[in-house]
Amino acid sequence: MRLPPVLRLVVRNFEANLDPITLLVMFGQPAFLIVILGTMFSGLISSVGSSGSYIAFLVPGMIASQMITGAVLCGRVFWLDRRWAMVEQIFSGPFLRAEYLAALLITALLFSLVGVGIMVLVALPLIGVPGLSPSELAVILATIALGSLFFGGLLIAIGGRIRSANLYFTIQSVLQYFLIFVSTVYYPVSAKTPLVLRAIVYANPLTYAANTVRDAFTHSFGPGDLVAGAVLSGLAAVAFVLAVASFNRLELGPVQ
Amino acid sequence: MPPLRTSGMRQSRGAPTRHSGRVRLPLQMEAPSTAGVGTIARPNVGPLAGLPSESAKVRDPVLEVDRLGYAYSPDRFAIRDLSFEVGRGEVFGLLGRNGAGKTTTVRVLTTLLPPTEGTASLFGKDLHLCGRTERARIGVVLQAESLDFVSVERNLTLYGFLWGVPREVAKSRAEEMLTLFELNEVRQRKPWGLSGGERRRFQVARELMHEMELLFLDEPTVGLDALTRKRILEYLAGRARKGLSIVFTTHILQEADLLCHRIGVLQGGRLRASGPPAEVKRRYRGPRTVEAGFERPLTELERTDLLALLAREGQKFRVVTFDASVLTFQAGNAEDLVAAISRWASPRDLDVDRISVREATLEEAFVNLVSDDRPADVGPRSEFA
Repeated sequence: MRLPPVLRLVVRNFEANLDPITLLVMFGQPAFLIVILGTMFSGLISSVGSSGSYIAFLVPGMIASQMITGAVLCGRVFWLDRRWAMVEQIFSGPFLRAEYLAALLITALLFSLVGVGIMVLVALPLIGVPGLSPSELAVILATIALGSLFFGGLLIAIGGRIRSANLYFTIQSVLQYFLIFVSTVYYPVSAKTPLVLRAIVYANPLTYAANTVRDAFTHSFGPGDLVAGAVLSGLAAVAFVLAVASFNRLELGPVQ
Repeated sequence: MPPLRTSGMRQSRGAPTRHSGRVRLPLQMEAPSTAGVGTIARPNVGPLAGLPSESAKVRDPVLEVDRLGYAYSPDRFAIRDLSFEVGRGEVFGLLGRNGAGKTTTVRVLTTLLPPTEGTASLFGKDLHLCGRTERARIGVVLQAESLDFVSVERNLTLYGFLWGVPREVAKSRAEEMLTLFELNEVRQRKPWGLSGGERRRFQVARELMHEMELLFLDEPTVGLDALTRKRILEYLAGRARKGLSIVFTTHILQEADLLCHRIGVLQGGRLRASGPPAEVKRRYRGPRTVEAGFERPLTELERTDLLALLAREGQKFRVVTFDASVLTFQAGNAEDLVAAISRWASPRDLDVDRISVREATLEEAFVNLVSDDRPADVGPRSEFA
């Protein structure tokens, strides 16, 4: 059976450009952090808000951060396709540019979900089964999907405007670490957090995603999660528009 | 007057004919060298084989280009005013110096770049409107290397999968391509670890994984050894005989001469000349080389006398070498020069061992065509006294 073009591109994205070592590092690092950071800091921090132990606080954050892992992998596929002229090769074939873009975003989402699965598997022995209801699970998946769309779109928009691999991967690394560390993935925002830093944290979409996933894990959805969903949806739409605009103006040809 | 035949003669070099007091000239027409390429069966069953001139209308065109142009900015054109057609089963060669616009032309015609002026159509559909359906009928080997980070073999099957080729077909076709392009030994290696020639072979092999009606090849034989080039060109010629149309850019003009039904020469983004290679050679060949070998060394007086006669007769020539018994000229009209030399030798009872006229190569015609600033199609440069 012949798959639709978008799915053929997705299958190809999963196989091409991504070597096992890269995938091991990308998914292994957060898993490693759950085990090491979670175990070590749990000894120092007695409880964190409604989550209880630090590791129970950390796991939902790391799950939310997988949307960035997925987006980074998707951005990597896109950039390497540009670097190795596969974008041109694909565009001169039986595919629409919209299909290629859609395939990249689906790739980001699927990688995010793979990451979520790995984090859950790693965390299960440490925090036990979270006992999520179907609606809580659906909210988590929707949050991951919106976050993947946002970060994936953002990296594609940036990757489409840059013609240097060094610059792209530098921006991607800085963005990745900035977004993860200036969010509530590793630590909560409290009244003692400096106001400027608090403002930056709440301007970061990953904060909303981490808080929503955490609320699902603690069965404590509230109005704030609706706001978070709305903010994420709006930002995802903006990032998608930026990605489309970047694609429409994509300059094909050699890149460094 | 001795008999002089200027066409249809091809005699061996080592058997000159002598007659005292007469000159009998074993005129030898030398074909351009094809060393390094080998003899390739010219695709001759396409509808355009033997097309008489560039003005002839192409039957069953798959690609029609009319005054096509692409500009990076309003005052910076990459290509301009290009017009040509490619028929079914025809091999069309795009020649030109570096930066002449060959690659841009290919990129525009494969819908990677939108034309900024003129029109073109793929399979009868305006290029602006061409989408997935038309692109599914073309193949493109771009100048820039493209690859996926999997093994050579998996690159082939994965590309087949992308194009929707059924798995079993893709598998057997990959085997065929690996053998044809001599990639069997490196099938498990990643493409970036291959040599330059292997990577180029891989590029062409991968594109041939799917069916197509029109194939664009942007310098497909760069970095390939002569034997591999020959094999690939033979394969392409075979595909053309079966109806595949090919647009082919190359700097190796012997290839274009052997493979292409018609060629177009680009200069500064414009088409300077187009037509069958033989016609382009005839029109732009410039001077041909005439070599006359005498039975004995000529005296200084005889040489001066010969040159004076040629000048008096208004021959346009240039002396290349003037050894003791062999004179080499470049002449605008080689046949007239040969006749003049024989007229000069005859009354002097001087035997001419051999006169040869070497036919121009496409490379010579190309160099003559693009190496000055004449407007297009004005014929060869005249610089001979």
